[in-house]
Amino acid sequence: MTLLEFARGPGLQWAVTVFIIGVLWRLLGVFLLRAKPDLSEPRNPAAWKGLRLIALRSWPRREFLEGTAFGEVMGYAFHVGFLVSLFFFAPHVLFFADVARGLIGTDLRGLVGFGWPTLPNGIITLLSAVAVAALFAVLIHRFVNPVKRLISNFDDYFSWFVTVAPLVTGLAAFSHLSGWPYERLLAFHLLSVELLLVWFPFGKLMHAFTIFAARGTTGMIFERKGASL
Amino acid sequence: MNAPTSHTHTRKPEPLEFDKPRVSIAKPEYRFDMQGEMPERERVERAMKSFVKDFGRTAAIYMESCIHCGMCAEACHFYETTKDPKYTPIWKLEPFKQAYKREYGPFAVIYRALNLKQKVTVQQLQEWQELIYDSCTVCGRCSLMCPMGIDIASLVSQARHGMYNAGLIPHELWSVTERARIEGSPLGATPKVFRDRVEWLADDHEVEIPLDKANADVLCAMSSIEIMKYPDSVVATARIMNHLGVDWTFRLDGYEATNFGLLSGNSAAQKLLTMKIIDAAVACGAKTVILPECGHAYTALRWMGANMYGQPLPFRVMHIAEYLAEQVHEGRLRLKQVKKSVTFHDPCQVVRRGGAIEAPREVLKALGVELREMYPTKGTNWCCGGGGGVIANHRADDIRYKVFRIKMEQIEKTGAELPVTTCANCRQTFDDGQAHFKWDTEMHSLLELVADNLVEDET
Amino acid sequence: MPSPTLREFLRARGVTRREFMKFCTATTAMLGLPATMVPRIAAALGEARRPSVIWLPFQECTGCTESITRAHGATIESLIFEAISLDYQHTLQAAAGDAAERVREQAMKDNWGQYLLIVDGSIPTGNPGYGTIAGRDYLEMLKEAAEGAAAIIALGSCAAFGGIPGARPNPTGAVAVGDVVKDKPIVNVPGCPPIPVVITGVLTQFLTFGKVPELDALGRPRSFFGQTIHDRCYRRPFYERGQFADSFDDEGARAGWCLYKLGCKGPTTYNACATVKWNNGTSFPIEAGHGCIGCSQPGFWDQGGFYQPLSTGNWGNARTVATAVGVGAALGIASAALARKRQRDAEGK
Repeated sequence: MTLLEFARGPGLQWAVTVFIIGVLWRLLGVFLLRAKPDLSEPRNPAAWKGLRLIALRSWPRREFLEGTAFGEVMGYAFHVGFLVSLFFFAPHVLFFADVARGLIGTDLRGLVGFGWPTLPNGIITLLSAVAVAALFAVLIHRFVNPVKRLISNFDDYFSWFVTVAPLVTGLAAFSHLSGWPYERLLAFHLLSVELLLVWFPFGKLMHAFTIFAARGTTGMIFERKGASL
Repeated sequence: MNAPTSHTHTRKPEPLEFDKPRVSIAKPEYRFDMQGEMPERERVERAMKSFVKDFGRTAAIYMESCIHCGMCAEACHFYETTKDPKYTPIWKLEPFKQAYKREYGPFAVIYRALNLKQKVTVQQLQEWQELIYDSCTVCGRCSLMCPMGIDIASLVSQARHGMYNAGLIPHELWSVTERARIEGSPLGATPKVFRDRVEWLADDHEVEIPLDKANADVLCAMSSIEIMKYPDSVVATARIMNHLGVDWTFRLDGYEATNFGLLSGNSAAQKLLTMKIIDAAVACGAKTVILPECGHAYTALRWMGANMYGQPLPFRVMHIAEYLAEQVHEGRLRLKQVKKSVTFHDPCQVVRRGGAIEAPREVLKALGVELREMYPTKGTNWCCGGGGGVIANHRADDIRYKVFRIKMEQIEKTGAELPVTTCANCRQTFDDGQAHFKWDTEMHSLLELVADNLVEDET
Repeated sequence: MPSPTLREFLRARGVTRREFMKFCTATTAMLGLPATMVPRIAAALGEARRPSVIWLPFQECTGCTESITRAHGATIESLIFEAISLDYQHTLQAAAGDAAERVREQAMKDNWGQYLLIVDGSIPTGNPGYGTIAGRDYLEMLKEAAEGAAAIIALGSCAAFGGIPGARPNPTGAVAVGDVVKDKPIVNVPGCPPIPVVITGVLTQFLTFGKVPELDALGRPRSFFGQTIHDRCYRRPFYERGQFADSFDDEGARAGWCLYKLGCKGPTTYNACATVKWNNGTSFPIEAGHGCIGCSQPGFWDQGGFYQPLSTGNWGNARTVATAVGVGAALGIASAALARKRQRDAEGK
């Protein structure tokens, strides 16, 4: 079995399986814990309105912006670049369409008549490169900033690595990096994605899911109290 | 599980001192920041058991969500003035995150089997005592900043339970909590003292102060800071309630609003102190309980009281500022106009954490002052630095004074004549800061400002 | 009497020197060799005696033979083909039965150690009965023939990598030549089938230099298999610009856009189709509007479907996902239950 065959075959299958098992284990293992009801009289009974914190907390209040603007901007540069590359690059869209067909029997085109849009490769390449640059910027910041240096651990650095690897290998494969056989570049890219999937449930990458839970929980608690969101 | 109580402990609560600008224990230089006689392993076991009992879904979600962005530090006044990364708010929770992952999280089995997270040690907890008690006022500014929406302040409160059970709290907090538990007040305002004070205050100021009515619509509570240091607040409360013509009372079986159980992490004491007010309110059939100018008193009863009680409270709970705002709305509070420029310091537990954001401002508006908001203000205002038990802790004095500079600068920038707040602990912190820095500005109480400017019918 | 040299042979058939030199020049260029090599190739070919070639067909479809024998009139290629002494080839030989076998045995004996062995089709190892010639099983025949061969050409993807018989589930235990023979130089010339001129190019190279050409990691001549279809595809600019045909005969397809979405395996397939093309340079699958199926790659039948784009891997299916969901949920519920129990125990004490 060649490296590419492994990466496109059993490697991918196992990675997806571990990802699904891990994510559900961690999320359910937390959401099913005991939650004591709050018997105090709410100031605002419609606590669900506090879910708007999920959106609101996406940018700091003006008063906090001075020390946090760098991190926020770099964070968005990375996330936007990464998510756009992931969801709007044609070969990726084909992958997700295949997953959809496998799971629900049809894809978006089958459901609504038009396919998921793709963005021109030039834009994807640019945004991926921006994402990589942002990742390096925040890595340097993590080393240099005393607060982050103190609180950082293995998870922070390893999660950084498994995130930057698919972007870098993806760019290398897409650009058919000279001197490298394409099938090997592609295999590296797929293997790096598989590493990301396998690590995902066990490290801080889970914030992709927990951000909704944490912001939502706090939003509802604070809304109920009329406290500052 | 037995918490270290006085009968296992040879020490008694320290005597108190009232000569300084803030109420404190005598001889704070002799510190005993470890309570109870027990082996190290047992301390850790007690702490771990406490965590396991305490952790619930909400805390777990928070523990799972931190991405180590460090932005919480930017919101914390302790970090702001020192730039010392150890004051990063989420760093305060580090041993507890460790314990959570190892004992309670979804992968706890894996963490233990592969020893991926070590067991927390007594040394760690001792090292963390300062971070959790000296440099945290549970003000919640960090919670407001966190991009993941983690309520870091609530986690610190929970961490304090573990520290208390391990017998690792600062000795001032232990002492005053014991005092509260035994005597009914942390700062010497025992029922006898309170009764005596009420009597001479009523006499001196020629104001009627009902005590121990069998039935009343409104039960008022006071903080021992006011009873011992700002007795004018007792008078002010009485004046206003009488002016409003309300059927109200103080009760000796439930008058102390401060809750050092909450501040120290002693849940049993917290409940004991809370239940006193609840039982007193139920006994006299009160429909409303008014809490005094105190921050954590509001958090303890308004937001945590029902959960201590185990059922919804059979009465409304209001902070005095909220009550005054309500009376302003209903046109019952007639006030003289105060032609002064005022800036308002937002007590963290009342405003940011408690939700009574506009109430104090509505009262100030009714007083006709020229309100000059400081920056930042309302929910994002800076903490005075003395809440959460910090002002009781002498070991924290240095850093508290550093932090106080922020408040002085804020207030001076407004150029207002009259800084006003609605928490006696903040007021105490300002007084102590004023004395330390020989600052020319004095903090005032909203309650007293209102009482001083009531339009009384001349009958 | 020694057999005539190739030069003499061709002259006897009316091939002028000029035409011969044109062939040598074209072949030299195609092999990626510098123009200075032309005289050497011409000399070598000219002086070559017709070597004995034994062609053993195993689990094959005869497509490789069909490909090579696509004679377009009397082309040089087919004449060259005649310039080797093809002593055994099922499709092309006149003899049959015992007579054919005797010819083979004689040729092998006469040229022991020097004949060229061409194999097409894979070799079944599951049961000797799966493939026999004149009562002898393929595996045994291959081993015997390999012993006396100077070199072996594994012709077509079946011989080179296992091909169709070797595809999942491989019921006959089919293997490639290279899995059986370990001690002789083997040139894999894969393709399903290989391009005709690739065969003759390899033969020419062998005749000229007397040894196997430079091979890649899969034993394929670099001169023909050194680049991917993708790297030489005329539709590459459309790939770069992200202009893809979404379905056969849609607007994009008719405009000649890239066939990536329709499953083209060009990026990972090494062959000469995009440059040399088929039918004497007429066209190749992509030009005809169908994506490359990767037929010169090992296991190309088992890479997902021909119409499944390269970026869609085998991520599983609804069943594997449902199983994972079940396992994950069970573990999550169990860990929460365990935590709650520890909590109750802590409260109880």
